[in-house]
Amino acid sequence: MKTIVITGATSGIGLETARLFAAAGYRVLAVGHSTANCEKANSDIKSTCPEAMLAWFAEDLMQQREVERVAGEIKAFLAKEGVESLYALINNAGCARSWYMTTEDGYEQQFALNHLAGFKLTCELLPYLLKEGGRVIMTSSESHTGIKVHWNDVMLRRRYNPLTAYKQSKLCNLLFAKGLNDRYASAGLHAYGVDPGLVKTDIGNKTAGIVDIFWKFRKRHGVSPTIPAKNYLFICEQPEPPQWLYWYLCREQKYSRQVTSENATRLFELSEKLCGISYK
Amino acid sequence: MNVMITGAAGGLGRAMACECGRRGYDLFLTDINDKGLAPLKTGLERQFGVNVTTLASNLTSPASLDSLMAEVDRRGILFDMLLNVAGVDDEGAFVEMDREKVVGIAAINDVATLRITHSVLQRRRPGSKFAIVFVSSMASQFPIPLKATYAASKRFLLDFAEALHAELKPSGVNVLALCPGGMATKDSVIKAIEVQGLGGAVTTNHMELLTRRTIDRVLKGKTVYIPGAWNRTFAFFGKIVPRRVIASYLYKRWDKAQAKWLKG
Ligand SMILES: NC(=O)c1ccc[n+]([C@@H]2O[C@H](COP(=O)([O-])OP(=O)(O)OC[C@H]3O[C@@H](n4cnc5c(N)ncnc54)[C@H](OP(=O)(O)O)[C@@H]3O)[C@@H](O)[C@H]2O)c1
Repeated sequence: MKTIVITGATSGIGLETARLFAAAGYRVLAVGHSTANCEKANSDIKSTCPEAMLAWFAEDLMQQREVERVAGEIKAFLAKEGVESLYALINNAGCARSWYMTTEDGYEQQFALNHLAGFKLTCELLPYLLKEGGRVIMTSSESHTGIKVHWNDVMLRRRYNPLTAYKQSKLCNLLFAKGLNDRYASAGLHAYGVDPGLVKTDIGNKTAGIVDIFWKFRKRHGVSPTIPAKNYLFICEQPEPPQWLYWYLCREQKYSRQVTSENATRLFELSEKLCGISYK
Repeated sequence: MNVMITGAAGGLGRAMACECGRRGYDLFLTDINDKGLAPLKTGLERQFGVNVTTLASNLTSPASLDSLMAEVDRRGILFDMLLNVAGVDDEGAFVEMDREKVVGIAAINDVATLRITHSVLQRRRPGSKFAIVFVSSMASQFPIPLKATYAASKRFLLDFAEALHAELKPSGVNVLALCPGGMATKDSVIKAIEVQGLGGAVTTNHMELLTRRTIDRVLKGKTVYIPGAWNRTFAFFGKIVPRRVIASYLYKRWDKAQAKWLKG
């Protein structure tokens, strides 16, 4: 049986993707934010898919030390179950914010959750992923276009535009995937970004102000999260790992010209410093 | 530049620490919540490469303050700036509130702030300028029934800061009172802003701007900083309308809101 890890699995795109993988016979290690939401999501998936193999982990992935903790819990679980490799990791947890807010590490919250959490978790789980020639998938977005990384001020303290911070974090998702491929494709590991499209989920409802209004407006025409969920399974079900980086509705999609190896390397260096880790 | 920040692990304290880190200042951070200090230290060092020292303390306890200062002296740290961020907020009918809680508001917001300000001023870097920020609040601008203690404790800081500014100016100390409105520091505040709708959104201060301007202003020698045009407008009304009228208006408004809430 193949084992996958998915973050942000308690709601929206993550919940439907976890359900789809469980129904397809994968063992799903699902990461959520709170125990209460994990329990709710667990009974939700079990109600439609009683045979689901699910294990839940609850941490606040915005905080660096909780990412470390969840990685430790996942490793302990794998050891206990005698599982030595991971088939896939889906870095999906994400948030939108209306104001500049910091994590306990003093990092801007959208950058910390949407990018750094996945960057760090992937590094922690890398040995397991490399064993099986694993696939790492980021929930990116069409929002990643029309923007550059603000290298001299990634936390956007100079003039915080919440939507710019969101877009930049989604660009970082693709740069991270690109950088992973540059480093590990020859070792059999492949990374991807998925554009879920406009999806009716809870995102944006958890923040007041202008961003709340923006997301409500955007999501009016949104599709059900079951639609983007198929894209993640599609990538994982291909016998040969697909070679294209960015996907929308199970099809190859064009991505921003900012997604270069040079920018990816720059992002790796910066993120390694901020996470206190080292890929290699 | 050495900066002491109290209440550093909270939302505003953390944002202040990031602003100081961005400017390359070295930091001494304290908070009653010791768990929040370690990750912040690491994060600041990774982001800005500044030196960060942390020690938890309960500023309402003279003994705890003494051990904090003993650590400062052991390290031989002399300060250039003090940011008094630590404080508590509480509300309710005065007679119905827990007695120690009410007293605690003044004990933390005022008494403890006096204590640490007095101690840190003894540890000024000799021969250079010094800056102190007191985090007051928009609540300092009005008498607020049902938040009477909190509002008065913040008024205390405002008046104290203005007087101290004049008193210490000749010896090269700038003193500023910061009077913020709402700040998006945690989820509960965000919910409150949401409930207030557009009014909540426009009076909410942007932390990245507020922290930068606070430091800019205290360095320039300004005495009071009310961030945000809406907040300044409210503060202006607070000055021209008789205080008794404001207090009874605020009380009635709250009473109505509560009656509605009890019915609904
Ligand atoms: N919806 C869209 O139209 C759209 C479009 C493009 C991209 N995306 C991306 O899709 C991803 C999933 O979003 P969604 O639309 O499915 O939103 P969602 O319904 O809000 O789901 C977000 C998930 O992340 C979890 N999460 C939030 N904060 C967390 C934290 N601090 N630590 C750990 N987990 C946390 C949430 O858990 P709780 O519910 O317990 O907080 C939830 O499971 C995000 O990366 C988003 O950027 C969405």
